[in-house]
Amino acid sequence: MIIDDPRSKFIFLYHPLVLMGRSYTVYQGREMTNGEVLEYWGKWIVLGDRPSLDDLAEKLDPFVENKEIPCIKYDRSPPRGLGVQECVMMVYCDRRNRDEVWKILARFGIKLKAWVTERDTMEMWLPGGLLLERWMSAQGYDEATRNAVREDAGKRLNHIFDHPEEIFKSWEQ
Amino acid sequence: MTVTVRVPGSLKQWFGGRDEAFCEGGTLGECIDQLDQRFPGIRDRLLSEEGRLGAVLIFLNGENVSKLDGLATAVRDGDEIGLIPFAAGG
Repeated sequence: MIIDDPRSKFIFLYHPLVLMGRSYTVYQGREMTNGEVLEYWGKWIVLGDRPSLDDLAEKLDPFVENKEIPCIKYDRSPPRGLGVQECVMMVYCDRRNRDEVWKILARFGIKLKAWVTERDTMEMWLPGGLLLERWMSAQGYDEATRNAVREDAGKRLNHIFDHPEEIFKSWEQ
Repeated sequence: MTVTVRVPGSLKQWFGGRDEAFCEGGTLGECIDQLDQRFPGIRDRLLSEEGRLGAVLIFLNGENVSKLDGLATAVRDGDEIGLIPFAAGG
């Protein structure tokens, strides 16, 4: 189902079970640990204007409903503050299933093939990470706020790196 | 031997308004050098001032080349290079 809440900067495609508290980081029906997410979880990146991604989301929703694709999110508007002029769609899955998920995307005309691991993304958002620093600059934060944001990001993300045995928990976006 | 380069719409102006281009070379670095001859300045857009990866995300057949051999990554006939803005990976 497509979750389009104007309070979020993202539009999500989840299986309804996720709204009942089930995790979307699942492999073969089992919730993944932090360590497994760091090793296997990632996403295919699709860029496009909002109408084209809305259209693609409608086409992909049945694959989320039947659990062939675990989760999708895409930008409500282009993240220009990060230097991106188009909306970004992230089609999440386990690396071990990514070829099957790519075949679904290719069926709908996606040609540019770009796989980004969740580990790489998290490292970009750690304190000192390129995206975290660029995002804070775009927000115009003063140094005190930047330090508070760095501390919060470090606490959240380092917990994942430091506790590989725990079940992965995402945060509100 | 031909390698296809694909870019999203926002980067089409780098390749004369097209979302794909073609190049030849034995490595990613050689492909970028050849692209730079046909599209002057493309090397500066793709690589940092020090000539390293990191200005955009570069993929070979879907795999981030920073996880392969970087600019020395071997390319073969029929391979596909994808380019996306760095921040789109986050």
